[in-house]
Amino acid sequence: MANLTRVERRGHLRRAAAAGPIREFLTFTLSVDLYAVELTTIREIVSPPPVTHVPRAQHDVLGVCSVRGVLVTVVDLRKRLRVAAPPASSRTRILLSETGSGEVVGLLVDEVRQVIRLGAGEIEPVAAVLGGDISAHVLGIGRPGNDPIILLDLSSIIGD
Amino acid sequence: MVDSIDKAREEFFSEAQEIIETFSRNLLALDATISEGVKDPTLINEAFRAVHTLKGLAGLFGAVAMGTLSHHLEDLLDELRLGRAELTRAVLDLLFGSIDVFGKILAAERAGSEAIPPGLDELVGRLRELGGSDVPEPGMVTEYELDPGMLAVLTEYEEHRLRSNLEQGLRLYRLHVKFDLATLDKALEEIKDRAKRHGEIITYLPTGESSSIETIELDLLMASHDDLSILIGALASERIIVEEIERRPQLSAAFSSRSHPHVAAERVLSVPSGHPRLGEEAADLALVSPDRSLRSLTQTVRVDIRKLDRLMNIVGELAIVRNVLSRIADRVRAEGQPQISSELFRVHRNFERRLTEMQDGILEVRMVPLGQVFERLSRVVRQISRELDKEIRFVITGSETEIDKLIVEELSDPLMHMIRNSIDHGIEDAAERARVGKPAAGTIALNAFQKGNHVVIEIEDDGRGIDENALMQKALRLGKIDLTDREQLSREEILSLIFLPGVSTRERADDVSGRGVGMDVVKTNIGHLGGVIDVQSEPGIGTKMTITLPITLAIVSALLVKVGEQVFAIPLNSVSEALAFDGRGVRVVDGRELMGLRGQSLPLCRLARVFDLPEENPSGRKFVVVATVGTKRLGILVDYLIGQQDIVIKPLGKSLAQVRGFSGATELGDQNVGLVLDPAALVEEVLLSGESAREKGLRAHG
Amino acid sequence: MDVPARAEAKSKMLRILLVEDSQSMRAFVCACLDQGATELGEVELIEAASGFDALRLLPRGRHDLVISDINMPDINGLELLNFIRANEKYRDLPVLLISTQSSEKDRQRGLALGATAFLAKPFSSEQLVAALRAALDGAS
Repeated sequence: MANLTRVERRGHLRRAAAAGPIREFLTFTLSVDLYAVELTTIREIVSPPPVTHVPRAQHDVLGVCSVRGVLVTVVDLRKRLRVAAPPASSRTRILLSETGSGEVVGLLVDEVRQVIRLGAGEIEPVAAVLGGDISAHVLGIGRPGNDPIILLDLSSIIGD
Repeated sequence: MVDSIDKAREEFFSEAQEIIETFSRNLLALDATISEGVKDPTLINEAFRAVHTLKGLAGLFGAVAMGTLSHHLEDLLDELRLGRAELTRAVLDLLFGSIDVFGKILAAERAGSEAIPPGLDELVGRLRELGGSDVPEPGMVTEYELDPGMLAVLTEYEEHRLRSNLEQGLRLYRLHVKFDLATLDKALEEIKDRAKRHGEIITYLPTGESSSIETIELDLLMASHDDLSILIGALASERIIVEEIERRPQLSAAFSSRSHPHVAAERVLSVPSGHPRLGEEAADLALVSPDRSLRSLTQTVRVDIRKLDRLMNIVGELAIVRNVLSRIADRVRAEGQPQISSELFRVHRNFERRLTEMQDGILEVRMVPLGQVFERLSRVVRQISRELDKEIRFVITGSETEIDKLIVEELSDPLMHMIRNSIDHGIEDAAERARVGKPAAGTIALNAFQKGNHVVIEIEDDGRGIDENALMQKALRLGKIDLTDREQLSREEILSLIFLPGVSTRERADDVSGRGVGMDVVKTNIGHLGGVIDVQSEPGIGTKMTITLPITLAIVSALLVKVGEQVFAIPLNSVSEALAFDGRGVRVVDGRELMGLRGQSLPLCRLARVFDLPEENPSGRKFVVVATVGTKRLGILVDYLIGQQDIVIKPLGKSLAQVRGFSGATELGDQNVGLVLDPAALVEEVLLSGESAREKGLRAHG
Repeated sequence: MDVPARAEAKSKMLRILLVEDSQSMRAFVCACLDQGATELGEVELIEAASGFDALRLLPRGRHDLVISDINMPDINGLELLNFIRANEKYRDLPVLLISTQSSEKDRQRGLALGATAFLAKPFSSEQLVAALRAALDGAS
C-alpha cells in the first residue's frame, strides 16, 4: 500500500514535558466544594446537549446523549458522590472521559473552573476524616492556595 | 495532540497483536502435526520468523519485556528449526504458555504500565534451559554449484531455507517470469498457489535492465521434490520458463560475498540492452492518481473500527440530509412548482442510491470472519482441558462466516463462558464417560452459518446434558418459580430457566470457573448485540446452545414511536404491524392485558408502565405495535407513531449493561438520542409467568 | 502556486522511498523523520510495503534516497539493491539498508552489492537521521 506523507519543516521540535512531579488538574465545583481530576483523563468539556433518560438505569445515571455522533453515558457526578445537587444553571458542564472499555462517560458538574498545576508536595494524602462514600474515589487533597481541592480518581468513579 | 511517535506505537501494538495471533495459529498447526506424526519444517520456520520480527519491533519501540521473551523464544525456535532440539509435547506446551504471557505483556504495554507480568521470569528461565546451545552450526556440504550472483542476494534466513531444502534432497529450480504490472498481484498469487503444491519458493529476484512501467521480470528460486517435467507441466507458460539448477560437484566455496558487486550483478541480468528509455515522470503522477496497481501484495488493510464508526456516523447524518431533501421536495410540490419538485425528487432518489451503496460498502468493510474469535477459543479450550484434566475434541466449522466486527469483539466473552461451562459442567470426566460408553474425548462442536439477515452460532457438546430437575429445584429455591409453575412449565420453558439470574452459577467457587458466569449475563450481552440465545438439551446425550445474531449492528430500518415526550425506535424486522388502539376489547387475564387481533389473543405491554414513564392520556387513543419474536407476539402500546426511519444503532456502554430491554441508542437528528428497544427482551420479560414476575423484574432494575 | 515555482519548491524537497513490510516500522521511520525534520528540511516520504511496490514506485519521479529493510518476504532488500545497482537509471541512488544486528552475513552481502550505508535495528531517530545524512553526503 503506497502511502504518501508530507513531513513538513518544523521549527524547534518541542518534546512533551517529562512526567515529573508536576501534574495538571482541572478544577470544578459540585455544590459548594471544589474538586479536581487529572487533566489527561478528560478528553473534552461540553455544554450539556439534550440528555435522553434511560429507564431502569442506576439512579445516578442521567441518561445518554450524543456528542458529534458519539454516544455518551451521562452520570450526575453529584449524585454519584452523594453530595447536594443544586438545579442546573447555565454554567453546568459535562466532562467527557473514556473508560478502559472504550465507553465515553460524561460527568455532570456544576461549574468548571480552571486548570491548576500541583507538585507532589502540594498534594496531601486523604485522611479518613472525609465522608465515607467519597473517600474511595479520592486521590488526595490539593492545597495550591488556602482552599482545599478534593482530587478525584476518575477511573474509579466511572468504574473502569 | 497525537505525536507521530504515538501513532507509530499504536501501529506497533496492532502489529504485535497480529504477529502473536499468527504465532498462535502456527503453534496450533504444529500441535496437529505432532499428533499426526508429520513433520513440517515450514511451520517451525514461520514461527521463528514471527518471533524474530516481534523481537525486532520490540527493540525498536522499547518494549523490554516483549523483547526479552521474543529473544529467548527465538533461541529455542532456532534450535528447533536447525534440528538441534526436539519438538516434544512439553516444548510445545511451553511455547503455548508464551502466548498468554505475550498477551499480558502487550496489555501492560498498551496501558503504559512498567509492571512485569507474572510468569515471565519463570517462562524465560525454562526457555533458557531448553534453548541456546553453544554447538556451532554444522558445516553443510552442498553438491550444488549455485550461481554466486544468486547466493549473493540471499538473506541469511533465505540461505538457511535453501540449505534445509537441499539437505532433504530437494531439487532446485529457477522460474523466470515476466508479468504485466497491471495484473501483477493476481499473477503472483496464481503462481504462488500453483507452486505451493509442488514445493517452496525461496526468493524472488527482480531482473531486467529496468523496471518498465508496464512489465516486470523476476527469477524465482524454488525447491521441489518433483521432476523438471512435472514442474514444467504445472507451471510453465509463455510468460514462465522453468529451468533446473544442475547438480554439479562443488567447485568453489558456496558463495563468495567478496565478489565484485557489478560482476555479481551482471551475472544475474538476463536481459541486456534494448530496454525502452523511460521519460522522466512528473512527481505529480504518483501524487495525483493513486493507481489501482499501487496496492501491495497483501490485499488486506488493517482498519481501526473507530474510523469505520466515524464513517457510519457521517452516513447517518447524510441520511438525515436525504430526509430533509425529500421534505423540501414535498413542500415545493405543494407550493405548485412541479418541475422543480420533480428535479428535487430525482436528486433525492440519486442521493439515496449512492448513500445506500456507500452504506453497503462500509458495512462490508466492517465484516470480519468469525474465525478470529474461534481461534482464540481453541487456545482457551486447550488450556481448560488441561486444567480440568478432561480430553476435549474441539471441532470448528463455518469459521469463514462473516459478521460485523463490533459484534465479533463482544462475542468472545460470552462464547468463552459457554464453552467453559460446557467443559466444566457438561462434559463428564473420563471415568464417567467410560461408564456410559462414550468416547474418552468429549466433543465440543462450534458451528457458524449465515441464515438470511442473521448469523447463527451453535455450540454443542456431547456431555451429560442439563439436569432439568436440579434446575427446577434451584429455581424454586431462589424463588424464580413457584410450585404451580413446576407442574405447568414445558420442557422448553424449564430449560430457559437457565437464563434467570443466579440459576446457572455454582453454589461455591472452584478454581477454574469460579462461580461461573451466569447465563443471564451471557443472554443480556447477546441481547445487547441484537441477538437471541436458545438452549436444547437431552440428558445423557448433550447440550446445544444456539445464538442468532444480526449480521450487522450498524444500520437497520426502525419504527419511531413516542411515549409521552420520549422517542423510541423499534427495529422493523421484529414488527409485523402497527394499529390504532382505542382500549376496546381488552381483557385482563392473570394480571396480563390481552386484546383480540383477528381472532387471536395478543398480550399487551404498556411501554409507559414497563419503563415507569409519565403516561399521556392513559385511557385515550394510542397505538399498538405488534412485535413478533420467533413464535411469540407482543403488542407494544405507545402514544404516537412517528414513522419509519433508517437508524444507526450504537451500543450502550458497559455502565448501562444491566439495563434490560434496549439494544442500544440512535441519533435522531439535532443531537437528540432515542433508545432502541429490544423486542426479544421485552417479549421475554412480559410473557414471563404473570404479573408477579414482571414486577420482580421492575424492582430489580428500579 | 504556478508551475515553475512549484517545480522549484519540489526540487528542494528530499524525496525518500521507504521499503518496509512492517507497518509499525514504517510508522516509526516516519516518526523519526518527523523529529529530524529540522536537520533534513522538507522531506517527502514515499512508502512501499514490499519490494514489488518499490519496483512500481521507482520509475515514478526522482528519488533522492532509498531506505530498505533487508529482511522482507519475497523480494528482499538485497535483491532490491541488486536491481537498483544493475539499472543505469538508478545506479547511483543512495541506498540505506536496515539490517538486524545479528546478521553479519546480510551486511557483508549488502556491502558487496553496493549499499551506501547501514543501520542496524534497533535504532533511534538520531541514528536514522545521521545515517541518512551520511548516505546523502556520501553520494554527492
